Amino acid sequence: MAYIMLTLLIGMVLGVISVASNPSPYFAALGLVLVAGVGCVVLMGHGGSFLSLVLFLIYLGGMLVVFAYCAALAAEPYPEAWGEWSVLGSVLGYLLLVVGAGSWFWGGWYEGMWVPVDELIEFSVVVADSGGVALMYSLGGGLLVVSAWVLLLTLLVVLELTRGLARGALRAV
Amino acid sequence: MTPTHFTISSAFLLGMMGLAFHRTHLLSALLCLEAMMLALFIALSLWSLQLDATGCSTAPMLMLAFSACEASAGLALLVATARTHGTDHMQALNLLQC
Repeated sequence: MAYIMLTLLIGMVLGVISVASNPSPYFAALGLVLVAGVGCVVLMGHGGSFLSLVLFLIYLGGMLVVFAYCAALAAEPYPEAWGEWSVLGSVLGYLLLVVGAGSWFWGGWYEGMWVPVDELIEFSVVVADSGGVALMYSLGGGLLVVSAWVLLLTLLVVLELTRGLARGALRAV
Repeated sequence: MTPTHFTISSAFLLGMMGLAFHRTHLLSALLCLEAMMLALFIALSLWSLQLDATGCSTAPMLMLAFSACEASAGLALLVATARTHGTDHMQALNLLQC
């Protein structure tokens, strides 16, 4: 289990490096999908299956789909993948940075540190993360209303920004 | 620093460096911002899971909602940039360049 967690954490760092190293946005979105998928499995390994499901649905299924459609705006004839020397240089630089920073810490890492101790609570009725999210509807109701208001406001902001016809930030196109 | 803590910290910092150093496309910078938000979500979730503090599980959910707002605002700016400047290249955004 510790080796699985090691592989997942390395996969997460490699995925973020693949996004941060400035490839073409098509490949950066692919790297982000990898990071989100591996991050979900990390959360599941710690027992948070509901939060992992929420991440998959909302983040990958909602936000990244919209990013994928907007990738059409970044169309170029020769998209740069991670084989191009400029991108590969960034990848190697970031890898060196992470390995260098990790070398500060990995002296103190022992075998039991990779996964938390399993909760040996056999008689619990409520799943931990789902029960916590349910608090959002009871005690945290005020913040739920505020976030719904913020989402409505964002919709109006987006509609105003992309209105077109020489209104706001846009030229008449 | 535990390995998990090191991983999410380095994921956040790598995303921030990618956002700071992006040279060509505005969309790549927005994707790095999303990577930072993802690292924050995983960090908040792991905080609640590792401390067995179930009440902290609402924080990643609300953070995801606000991060969706931010992503949509950023993409609307990207669309506006593409319609005004014709492309989303960062070099086209040179109105304030001296």
